[in-house]
Amino acid sequence: MEMDSLSNGNNTTATASTPATVSPDSSAATARATPTPPPSSTGPQLTEALKLEHQFLRVPFEHYKKTIRANHRAVEKEVSAVISGVTDAASADFSPDDAVNHLNSLVSRLQGLKRKLEEGSRAENLQAQKCRARLDHLESADGENLSEWNSTRLKRILVDYMLRMSYYDTAVKLAECSNIQDLVDIDVFQEAKKVIEALQNKDVAPALAWCADNKSRLKKSKSKLEFQLRLQEFIELVRAENNMRAITYARKYLAPWGATHMKELQRVLATLAFKRDTECATYKVLFEAKQWDFLVDQFKQEFCKLYGMTMEPLLNIYLQAGLSALKTPYCYKDDCTKEDPLSQEAFRTIAMPLPYSKQHHSKLVCYITKELMDTENPPQVLPNGYVYSTKALEEMAKKNDGRITCPRTGSEYNYTELVKAYIS
Amino acid sequence: MDLNDIRDAFDHVAKKQKLSYSKSQDIVDQIGHEIEQALISIQLSQESQKSILTELMLKLNAIGALQQLEGSQKELNISVTKYQKLLDKLLYPDISKVYRTADYDAHVVNQILANHFYHQGLFDVGDSIMKEAGEPEATALRSLFLEMHQILEAMRVKNIQPALTWVSANREKLVQNGFNLEFRIHRLQFIELLRNGNRADALKYARTYLAPFASLQENEFQKLMGCLLYSGRVENSPYPELVSPSNWTEITEELNRQFCTLFGQSYKSPLSVAMAAGFEGLPTLLKLANVMAVKKHEWQSMKQLPVPLELGKEFHFHSIFVCPVSRDQCSEENPPMLLPCYHVLCKQSIMRLSKSSAQVFKCPYCPAVATVANCRQLYF
Repeated sequence: MEMDSLSNGNNTTATASTPATVSPDSSAATARATPTPPPSSTGPQLTEALKLEHQFLRVPFEHYKKTIRANHRAVEKEVSAVISGVTDAASADFSPDDAVNHLNSLVSRLQGLKRKLEEGSRAENLQAQKCRARLDHLESADGENLSEWNSTRLKRILVDYMLRMSYYDTAVKLAECSNIQDLVDIDVFQEAKKVIEALQNKDVAPALAWCADNKSRLKKSKSKLEFQLRLQEFIELVRAENNMRAITYARKYLAPWGATHMKELQRVLATLAFKRDTECATYKVLFEAKQWDFLVDQFKQEFCKLYGMTMEPLLNIYLQAGLSALKTPYCYKDDCTKEDPLSQEAFRTIAMPLPYSKQHHSKLVCYITKELMDTENPPQVLPNGYVYSTKALEEMAKKNDGRITCPRTGSEYNYTELVKAYIS
Repeated sequence: MDLNDIRDAFDHVAKKQKLSYSKSQDIVDQIGHEIEQALISIQLSQESQKSILTELMLKLNAIGALQQLEGSQKELNISVTKYQKLLDKLLYPDISKVYRTADYDAHVVNQILANHFYHQGLFDVGDSIMKEAGEPEATALRSLFLEMHQILEAMRVKNIQPALTWVSANREKLVQNGFNLEFRIHRLQFIELLRNGNRADALKYARTYLAPFASLQENEFQKLMGCLLYSGRVENSPYPELVSPSNWTEITEELNRQFCTLFGQSYKSPLSVAMAAGFEGLPTLLKLANVMAVKKHEWQSMKQLPVPLELGKEFHFHSIFVCPVSRDQCSEENPPMLLPCYHVLCKQSIMRLSKSSAQVFKCPYCPAVATVANCRQLYF
């Protein structure tokens, strides 16, 4: 199915073709469409840019929400503890002194809670500020500072990538030297960092604690991260030949998952019979170290999902779109200009599986000046069929008494031998 | 899309959060107050503490603390959900929708990032990522960009020495003659001396460094000597453009460009260019995905995008000729051909129009007729 160019708010009017030089023998000659200069208001383009920033607003908001929930839970717990403390006292047979002591302890508990409440509220306000800073940043983008705003955008995306890859020091460095700490999620990733580092040291405890903290949301998304962590712990017990403990562990922690994940449960339990040095491929893999890497990946995925981040690093998403938009068969030729990212091996590798860009209109770039040939700078044909821009050829003729040398073939001509080509 | 709507929705959440906080505070205060009252009663009154405690219990139950806490939290939750729904509605909830699953070699990406940081002059960030990613050694480009940034940095503080050393060492290799660039750098220094009123120094400088260029840049040279009369007030001379601070930035930029070209590097960081293209192209892709409801596997197997992603002029690196008749992109197999009337069509279209070169045909754009034999191939 063919579609007409969808506007991305950029060159929305670029498709209107305007008549160029009037052809000597025809009035039907129309020049190819020329991209009109960007409209004075970059409105539509900006709006589209802002619409891509879901994660940018969502992540700090999730953090804010989380802080609010945690504080609320703490208050609820303390208040109900105090109330039941009073209820207990009413039914107990206290001496007056005991009753006074008991009530005093409740009062000091309440004071503690008040302090906690204040602290919590401070944390909440801080998070709210961060959410606001993001909104301010989006609002600050306008036609004038767009290139600066875009350069910040690139930096934000790079920090996101490095955080996801666990290059924390570099992420912090880049954020600090560009002064964009409020615009990136370093604090959020601190939470992930602990869990990931523990998993890399073959310790599941922090990951399990994280699962417990986010139990209801993980359950809602039908996450089986906890189950996978439990399986790994079971495997470790089997590896250590702690079979009795492994069985007790399985009863307690694995059995509840039986209803939904029976197959995996059975497979892992079979390791009791096969032991760690088994050659049976089905069970051998369960003992391999890469299982831990797998857990790290699983955790990262759940973590991103929970915070409303895209599953892929932003860098990969934008890079794919960009390289696809730039990819033409000419990019892979040896004479590809250095200014094209696809002249570089690394970018070519990444672009390899991507689709080529599509053009509905000719875009001709002068071989000499690298400028676009359009109605203002129309293409001219040498007798040998090579085409260059009028600007480049005029320049050359001026310097060489009207002589033109084709830079690709070396043939020489008079400027008068050239003809204008009509490209529609 | 209106950011104000989002802001309003957020303010609503923040308001509810504050409300919920003061509610919690009230409740804690109330409970505290009641308990303290009971304490006083126990210490003062003759009543048995048992009945006071029972009364306290009843009072606390009457406050309904937990219900109140829950209530305020519920209100907060409503505004939270509203905010999230608004974000989902106004923004693209998942921009990875058009992502093609691909296994990126992290090593390749790390190299790209490190080179990008070196290109931008962020050497410690570049070094840091190499270290954290466990890449064995610095990329070959590091020392190259280090040299470049030392030159540019020096230029920013008006120290021309490193730039001059580099230019004269590479004089022959520089495109558009390094001689010219060298002269322009000396000119900067000369004007700088004059601007500070050092006429004698400026004259000496001109004798030593500018004189060799005099024959090549006669006009320019005379102009500069004329400036000697305006030492300390060049801005009042007939050539005020010579003291414009933009001259320094221009030459610095030119140096940057020449340096990159000489070493086969792009002037702009390739990552910046690719990402800028992504910024412009991604919204179109997302719209396309929404309109066409493209399936994941369709993205995966697409050989060419179904729509053009219109990019700005700065992203056109290659000549692409699209035949106005067939709408096909020309290639080596199907090259563009010039008709005798100077209109251009692709070869296949011409073959079709001429019924495989059997007959004369009329140009689709003008009344002129042509035969295949008098059409010729073009090279863009």
